[in-house]
Amino acid sequence: MKFSIPIGPQHPALKEPISLRMTVEGEVIRDADIRLGYNHRGLEKLAEEKTWIQNIYLTERICGICSHSHATCYVQGVEKLMDIVPPKRGLYLRFLVAELERVHSHLLWLGVAGHEAGFDTFFMYTWRDREIVMDMLEAISGNRVHYAINTLGGVRRDLDEGLRQKILSQLDILRRRTEFYIKIGANEPTFVGRLAGVGKLSKEKAMELCAVGPMARASDIARDVRRDDPYGIYAETPFEVSTADTCDVLGRVVVRVKELFQCYNLIEFMLKNLPSGEVKVKAPRRAKPGEVVSRYEAPRGENMHYIVSGGADKPERLKVRAPTLANYPATVEMLKNGFIADIPLIFAAIDPCICCAERTVETVDLRTGEEKVLRFSELRTLAQERFDKNPRKGTGLWPF
Amino acid sequence: MAVLKTVLYLIVYPGILFLFVYATFVEWFDRKVYARLQNRMGPTHTGRFGLLQPIADFVKLMSKEDIVPDKADKTLFTLLPIFGLAIVATAGLLLPVWHTNPLQPGFNSFPGDIIILLYLLSLPTLIFFLAGWSSTNLFSAIGGSRVLTMLFGYEVPLFLAVLSPALLAGSWRLAEIAAFYRQHPLLILPNLIGFAVALVCVQAKLERTPFDIPHAETEIVGGTFTEYSGKKLAFFRLMTDIELVVCSGLLATVFLGGFGGGIFLGFLQFIGKTLAVVFLLSLMRAVTGRIRIDQVVSFAWKYLAPLAVLQLLIVIFIKGWVL
Amino acid sequence: MNDLDTIERIKGALGSRIVEITNPAPGRIFMTVAVEDLVSVMTNLKRDLGFWYLVTISGVDKGDAFEILYHFGYEGGNLNVRTQIPKPTGIDEVLKEKTVPHLPSICAVIPGAVLYERELQDMFGIVVDNIPDPRRLVLPDDWPEQNFPLRKDWKFERPPEVIPGGKK
Repeated sequence: MKFSIPIGPQHPALKEPISLRMTVEGEVIRDADIRLGYNHRGLEKLAEEKTWIQNIYLTERICGICSHSHATCYVQGVEKLMDIVPPKRGLYLRFLVAELERVHSHLLWLGVAGHEAGFDTFFMYTWRDREIVMDMLEAISGNRVHYAINTLGGVRRDLDEGLRQKILSQLDILRRRTEFYIKIGANEPTFVGRLAGVGKLSKEKAMELCAVGPMARASDIARDVRRDDPYGIYAETPFEVSTADTCDVLGRVVVRVKELFQCYNLIEFMLKNLPSGEVKVKAPRRAKPGEVVSRYEAPRGENMHYIVSGGADKPERLKVRAPTLANYPATVEMLKNGFIADIPLIFAAIDPCICCAERTVETVDLRTGEEKVLRFSELRTLAQERFDKNPRKGTGLWPF
Repeated sequence: MAVLKTVLYLIVYPGILFLFVYATFVEWFDRKVYARLQNRMGPTHTGRFGLLQPIADFVKLMSKEDIVPDKADKTLFTLLPIFGLAIVATAGLLLPVWHTNPLQPGFNSFPGDIIILLYLLSLPTLIFFLAGWSSTNLFSAIGGSRVLTMLFGYEVPLFLAVLSPALLAGSWRLAEIAAFYRQHPLLILPNLIGFAVALVCVQAKLERTPFDIPHAETEIVGGTFTEYSGKKLAFFRLMTDIELVVCSGLLATVFLGGFGGGIFLGFLQFIGKTLAVVFLLSLMRAVTGRIRIDQVVSFAWKYLAPLAVLQLLIVIFIKGWVL
Repeated sequence: MNDLDTIERIKGALGSRIVEITNPAPGRIFMTVAVEDLVSVMTNLKRDLGFWYLVTISGVDKGDAFEILYHFGYEGGNLNVRTQIPKPTGIDEVLKEKTVPHLPSICAVIPGAVLYERELQDMFGIVVDNIPDPRRLVLPDDWPEQNFPLRKDWKFERPPEVIPGGKK
């Protein structure tokens, strides 16, 4: 017996609205369909009406978790258009925040993976340790989520010596905790049993469907923009691309944990070799006419901003490609022939950031019903009819 | 006097009032232990140490709007929580906490009551299945089918594990089994394998992590309880709590020597031993993740069932050669 | 592999189909091809030259034409294949004369491109021929027809807000 179950737009496994329609036979998924469009904010259109500076804060709000990624990607593109080079210290601080953000994002993801696998203790522990990173970020930038530290030509805040030492000492705690998570992740039989062999994505399929980030790296494709196309300071920092060849969710966990260690090394390197000097240079108000492709390795994969300037104080066009969108076709492929119980895990394994992937249009206008898709306007009419027909219980007034 | 005693037995101790209070306390204990193991605080605000939190939750659910789906079988949908609560409360009466004298059988302690108790503990599974099926929700239906699938996994090992101490004691009456092990405390040791198997099976019966598959929230929303709300959900939750008390009471009776020494000492023993069992169950819940339905069945038949049979063999060996 | 080698390799494989190829910054190659050659160029790029990773497809409204950019990532940089299709002027004209812009689909070569092509259809009103899944991607189902938000002549007018059951 085949029937289709709706996962989303509202579902406990999804932190943001998206609709997955699964055709299942018993407990086995035969077909999957992804529907987007619940979280559109018209960002690309809006960006054309804002100045270069205002757009930093707009791009930062594309995503909550990788806010710094989008802002940095945008800023380094615009800096190329404006022909300015930020000072060394500014760049180091910018990418220090970027690596701290990667740590926080990966720790968050580990917790979510634990929760989706029903392993809530793991979730609580990783999120407790994530607080350490959040505190570091708050100390550096003044904010926990939207750091707002980027500006055209550098960063907005400097780092003092005391804070530098403090972050270095806290890195040791994070290293120890991450080693503990590797031990749990590799030894807890219920957890490994849920992750191993789930959500297979072969190397060929991953290449065909253009998978990015930890998804591709877990399928043994050593792709990382930081190494392939070095931006900022990554040409001079020690760093290895982490890969795994198991092609399943366990491989994605391994890749992310390995990346955590790479991040700790990078953070340590940046803090120990922090150059002195200014943190920013003054940026002009207008950019020269031209176009630029800016790439950035966000925690979830590659970010790409394509910016066209017409010579004004506003961009002609800002195209944003977030990594989650690139991973959707591969997700459909992975879901096929899996179990219902694996849906949340497989879907979580791409670390979906739905608000990243959907940025372009105005309003959220669609709700799905059990059997047919109801448009929002129809739904409103239905609700009003029902409200008018059914008498209100009691008097409908407060008793006092 | 006998009538008064029976009424007291049914209503106050260990009847519905005591069960209600104690079940909420056990839920608090479970939540607190689970939270502390996860580096959280758990309930803190309602009452001292948050002791009243489960009662507050119950009251809150009782006062919520009660929604019955249009397409659901309304009678069945409404009656199931009440039946379920009645069944587990009846099972609670059979625990030998009041009636401890092994020489005097009564309506609540008679040869064969261990079978009745196990039977009554199997019924909630059926109730959950029917609840899922009658609410005509897709997620509930999947949850319901998962409940039944899991039943085939854990039920046989549980029966084997619980019945082997009874075989060793040579009685089908809980009070007599408990009295036997109080007389021969060393014989508790050979039953440890059975105790471990029974603990895992009880965890599965109570649908707690790693076996919370029928209502795995990240997969199938609320599972069997997706459509339940208000009073009916409150009843189901209370039912699960009482089931936890009864199951831990059963394990404490059969494996840990029961609750001897008169009403007051027996009461203290009951509290101590059930809390010990609940602590083990909470520990298991905290250190594992949820497994898949196919993994449950294969785990039960590959490991639990052979271990239970081994336990049975040990018991037969001891009974034949040692005693 | 530096940029000049890559350009030579591409030139060798594609020959006269390249209208223009530039290298404005290190690791950035911009190449222009005619829209008729698009699918054959993509096939060559993927099968012979190993550009399997399509980052995204960008559309730009140039006023009188749509510029479509296919961004490829490779080890060492970024290749952008540019093509142009003429733009019909004005929305009314589109309705009357049915001159919709057409673009061939590259999903047969690169299956991962389907989402980006659907986004192009939504945002620019470009009809992608032979697309495997022509449903809307990002716009809601009751979005009015012939409204393509990323065209430069499109302006958003907020509909008057009506509170259900509220005062008129």
